[in-house]
Amino acid sequence: MQLSKERVDAFLAELNQAVRVYVPARGEAVSSFARYGQGTEPAFDLVNTDMPPKDMLFPQTEKMYRYGLDDEGKPFVDATFDADEVVLFGVRPCDMRSIECMDDVFLTRGFIDEYYETRRQKLTTFALACTAPAPTCFCDSMGLNAGQAPAADVLLKDVGAAWQLAAQSEKGAALLGKYKGFFDESDVQDAGAKNSDSVSCTLKVDMDGVKEKLDQMFDHPLWEDITKKCLTCGTCTYVCPTCYCFDISQSNRMKIGERYRCWDSCMFSVYSEMAGGHNPRADKLSRVRQRFMHKLCFFEDRYGKSLCVGCGRCIQKCPVALDISCLIDDIGAAELAPVALAGEKGAGDGKH
Amino acid sequence: MTDTAPSITREQTARVQTARVQTTRVHTALFAEVTQKLRLRAKELLESGEVVSVIGWEAGRFENQTTPAFITDANKVDRLIFNEYCANTLGKYVLSEKLDGKVAVCVRGCESRGINRMISDNQLKRSEVYLLGLPCPGMVESPEVSHASEPSHAPEASSKLLSKCAFCTHRQPVVFDEYLGTCEATDETLGGLIPKPIDPSERFSDVEELEALSLDERNAYFEKLYNNCIRCYACREVCPCCTCRECFVDQARAGWQGKQNNLEENRFYNLTRVFHIGDRCVECGECERVCPMELPLMKINRKMVKDLTTLFSVPEAGLDSETISPLNTYDVADLEEYL
Ligand code: SF4
Ligand code: SF4
Ligand code: SF4
Ligand code: SF4
Repeated sequence: MQLSKERVDAFLAELNQAVRVYVPARGEAVSSFARYGQGTEPAFDLVNTDMPPKDMLFPQTEKMYRYGLDDEGKPFVDATFDADEVVLFGVRPCDMRSIECMDDVFLTRGFIDEYYETRRQKLTTFALACTAPAPTCFCDSMGLNAGQAPAADVLLKDVGAAWQLAAQSEKGAALLGKYKGFFDESDVQDAGAKNSDSVSCTLKVDMDGVKEKLDQMFDHPLWEDITKKCLTCGTCTYVCPTCYCFDISQSNRMKIGERYRCWDSCMFSVYSEMAGGHNPRADKLSRVRQRFMHKLCFFEDRYGKSLCVGCGRCIQKCPVALDISCLIDDIGAAELAPVALAGEKGAGDGKH
Repeated sequence: MTDTAPSITREQTARVQTARVQTTRVHTALFAEVTQKLRLRAKELLESGEVVSVIGWEAGRFENQTTPAFITDANKVDRLIFNEYCANTLGKYVLSEKLDGKVAVCVRGCESRGINRMISDNQLKRSEVYLLGLPCPGMVESPEVSHASEPSHAPEASSKLLSKCAFCTHRQPVVFDEYLGTCEATDETLGGLIPKPIDPSERFSDVEELEALSLDERNAYFEKLYNNCIRCYACREVCPCCTCRECFVDQARAGWQGKQNNLEENRFYNLTRVFHIGDRCVECGECERVCPMELPLMKINRKMVKDLTTLFSVPEAGLDSETISPLNTYDVADLEEYL
């Protein structure tokens, strides 16, 4: 099935009547997923957006419930929560994989996060296979294929004047069925067709044995080297499509209060500070180590996959060029102490 | 927020837009020469034990990119490089590095003013640092990394001067222990190749544009700007004026700063920071460079500088380490309009 590029706008406009459609778009300063319509010009030529689509499922600030005293002075709690139907159109394979990682965190292992679950159930994804990765992309070293997005509801491939559509889930098939008037059954590829079946990133890392090595590198001097230049700002964690740390707090005004959760960053010292003032990750090194251990080792332990999908955003945005791909090289080249401290992860560095 | 709010792109600043430069033979020779001298002096300083660490730059992952380097081993000085991609201003790193002993650090105009800043703010003693002065022709964006997701990230992007360098008023270090440049590498000789340091008459032209807007337009501009902030605090972390042991943002129990990301909280953070650094900003432009949301943070900083210099004839900050910052002084003759 194909969607002619000339009809994309008509299709999205129609779809946008029924659901909220989000597309990659250049903003004034940076690019992100923006609501279709209202003057938004879709930018399907962007490799990936500066800001990841994670706020579709995990907003930077999310209201959880309200409480307080009503007009008659009676206490109330209002915990109603709902989300809109959303179509994410043009999401890239790395970002699709990041949604799989967040699904693992918020929907598996005996705890279901209702806020995430509600948004997730109402999300339909159209992934766009990559044909020309950016210099900072390294997804194919992280176990992905830039031409595939197995978790997406629909996969789009550029075949020149049209996009080839393939439904990959019931949800995707149903949506394509509903709007079939916009598609044609042809299968033609013209001269402008882009190759998305054997796309290769120029940036490569060797992940072979990295996790196993990290198991023994908790106290390795390598962390000292990279810690020196890190500013412990929140940039890398906030632009990362898979970083999901959050804080829950509240704001009270007069008789009404609101409980909310918001993104937090393991790079911030207050993130791990506890009520009594104790901080298990008070020093910079332990915070920097946590970020990379979580990405490349702890998440693998718990969910069997890497928490880095190779999107390259932190490489582009880190103000001091602390580059995760260089770190992976360094881990590969690192010498381990003869008596490895395997299994002895420091107190307080829980795997979550 | 209205759609008609003035654009918050930095590109709209004509000076940045036109500041495309070609690295020439002269630069290549200059950089090669300075790099050689830097390695030599770093080796001597480390071997003699005069310093425990040399802070400079080394190659990054990509060809046209560098990353801060901390050299403690005299056998590793060859990692140091100096070229047009040395975007990071290094001065603030001395605060953590000096804990192990005296530190040598490369200083251009921006670093040297930051060092003076930290000395006058009692964060640093002059005797704790050894300053290796470098000639600076202005730095350019890394073509591989800046806007890498744009399909057209063409090599000519390599000629784009960093916006902080486009507005720099002091490229050469204002304080150093030794200077590693050559006498030919002055603003005059380099000026013809890379745009000269900004002329005083056009220095505040974009601030004047902002001042000319109506109150509503100005408000819309800043609302748009602060709406886009994600509060990563990179601007704070990199700033040589932001040296508080505990920032107001992190005083969780006092609760000055809520954690929500919304206009009120974002504006509160940004404006409080501007007030806290307002009379001390050395205009290194690092806050704006590091902002992942590419917000034009220097506009309001330069507005503060403009008011201080034009209303109070206060000299630019960080040119020496003795001048007391204006908000630390009181003079009955001060203009009343300020209050
Ligand atoms: S790695 Fe870079 S982006 Fe991340 S906290 Fe450190 S300086 Fe900031
Ligand atoms: S760690 Fe960096 S490259 Fe990996 S997924 Fe996060 S932002 Fe992308
Ligand atoms: S660097 Fe930019 S996004 Fe980050 S806190 Fe500062 S202004 Fe906000
Ligand atoms: S406010 Fe920005 S320009 Fe001023 S000293 Fe701090 S980082 Fe530099």
